[in-house]
Amino acid sequence: MNNVRAFWATAKRELLIRCRYPDWFVAMLLWPILMPTFTVFATQALAGPDNSGGEVFAELAGTSDYIGFVFIGIVMWSWLNTVLWQVGATLRTEQRRGTLESNWVTPASRLAIMFGSGLTNMISSLITVAVSLIFCKLMWHIDLTFSPLLGLVFLLSTAAIYGLGLIFASLVLLVRELNSAVNFVRGMFMVFCGITYPISVMPHWMQTVAKGLPLTYSIRLIREIGLAGAGYRDVSDAFWILFAFAVSLLAGGYMLFILMDRIAARKGILGQY
Amino acid sequence: MSTVNSIEVENLRRVFTRRTPRKLPWQRNRQVNGNELCVTGSDKSGNQPKTTVAVDGISFEIQSGEIFGLLGPNGAGKTTTIKMLCTLLEPTSGTARVGGYDIVREPAKVRGSMGTVFSGERSLYWKLTGRENLEYFAALYDVEPSTTASKIDSLLSKMDLESKSNEPVERYSTGMRQRLAVARALLADPPVVLLDEPTAGLDPQSARNLRDTVRSLRDEGHTILLTTHYMAEADELCNRIAIIDHGRIIALDTPAALKAGLQEMHSLEVEVDRAPDGVLDELRSLPLVRGVESHASNNGLETWTIRVLTEDSRQTLDALLDLLRASGDRVLNMKANEPTLEDVFIALTGKSLRD
Repeated sequence: MNNVRAFWATAKRELLIRCRYPDWFVAMLLWPILMPTFTVFATQALAGPDNSGGEVFAELAGTSDYIGFVFIGIVMWSWLNTVLWQVGATLRTEQRRGTLESNWVTPASRLAIMFGSGLTNMISSLITVAVSLIFCKLMWHIDLTFSPLLGLVFLLSTAAIYGLGLIFASLVLLVRELNSAVNFVRGMFMVFCGITYPISVMPHWMQTVAKGLPLTYSIRLIREIGLAGAGYRDVSDAFWILFAFAVSLLAGGYMLFILMDRIAARKGILGQY
Repeated sequence: MSTVNSIEVENLRRVFTRRTPRKLPWQRNRQVNGNELCVTGSDKSGNQPKTTVAVDGISFEIQSGEIFGLLGPNGAGKTTTIKMLCTLLEPTSGTARVGGYDIVREPAKVRGSMGTVFSGERSLYWKLTGRENLEYFAALYDVEPSTTASKIDSLLSKMDLESKSNEPVERYSTGMRQRLAVARALLADPPVVLLDEPTAGLDPQSARNLRDTVRSLRDEGHTILLTTHYMAEADELCNRIAIIDHGRIIALDTPAALKAGLQEMHSLEVEVDRAPDGVLDELRSLPLVRGVESHASNNGLETWTIRVLTEDSRQTLDALLDLLRASGDRVLNMKANEPTLEDVFIALTGKSLRD
């Protein structure tokens, strides 16, 4: 069985379906503009007219570019959000469409179908990130330094977030409900990962929780490499922790998917919703 | 027809254990009713885990090139059997082989050797065109890329969908969607085709066309397992039929042999002016009566038809009319028929396929 062909066919299928809902493109272009904007204005208000608040912020955050700081946090969180909703809901969407069983009775690898569908979701979320970046560059003049290391961090973050999406998708096969779990996780990440503030302002126990979340490291690394120009040696600890998260979440997602697929076949709940 | 078996099913059994929805405290004392075969256990919160035997140790073999029908009422276990054979559902016990492959140990090979058409019309992507659907599934079935386009053209032509091939499936009629689903099942030219209630919900003309398609598939050498609750369909299409009820096969033979078993029987059909619920049990207790069922006559006149299977229509007729008159039912029409597969089912189970 040609799994690569199944993978591309699924990606193409999902892209075609997306293209038949044109309003989705409007949301994809507007959302990344609206999301950072409201936080940037809130931050400007807190900084005060003489930017005295900004100086305190720079002391805590390690950078005076608070718009860039907030932008990275918001974009990464929005991205996680999108991946959790879209990749996490891949199988649920198929269940709702009524097409999961007709896919599952083909000899194609179920993981290839799953990843193929996720690829389109990933591309759409990357477009969202790109639109955010262009908008903030033009509107707020943020200055991100691009480097291979930054690209690598982004890739690792993608793997970690995708692994998390795979875990959600697998669990959905069993629990058949996604909303409450995604809302809980995105709320956790929003509060604990330092989306719009440095995690050092949180109580100690919350900082401990933050260290157990992959997005904390993604955001920290992208801020340090992209805004402060840090090199590998400056961030190697966080880099390898993110690497470990990426590998373990992807492997965990894969194993959970295989397990849940088997459990769903045993329980006979594949076609239920 | 060769005698090689395409499908072998041995003592296949599937049990579901499910909890009823969680109740609120004030609902917990209410009695729970269920139509399941058996209900066991109850936990402290009042939730009752129900054990339902959907398929109860069925065995059969389907020869290559045969149309084999699983005939039974809704909830008899037909779809559960299909889902086990196409590897969507693991059996609780028993074994089955499709195309020589074990459904539990070699599921990928089983899936590669069969095409499946599910009941209902939601198994296709409605936002994609018919052709796009087939292109997508051709990739999943790993149809040779160089022949995919010609294969799709040929299937679209065979299913009479050429003119609509570039329109989204959401604009198709139910019959067209079902034909497209059959085309999808044939993409990889599988030796075995599973059809789960293929004509359910179709208008008479579409159903007739689909039955012609099924016959042509058999002529091309495909082995077909068909589930249906339409007796006439099973009678018309199938080389052999397994009658299934409550998860068990209660008869298995050719349609002619099944009906021949009722040659000594007579089937009486009486049309009455209202639902005859009150007298059915009394009719069943009449001597020589082997089965009774009733259903709305479906003639737009709100009348009901009672079907009585008896060993001697002359002796039963008087008692039947007396009972109906005594209960106030007015007899509008009456006729005696040759036994049909429905009568076979009534004789075996004492009830109708519609029940």
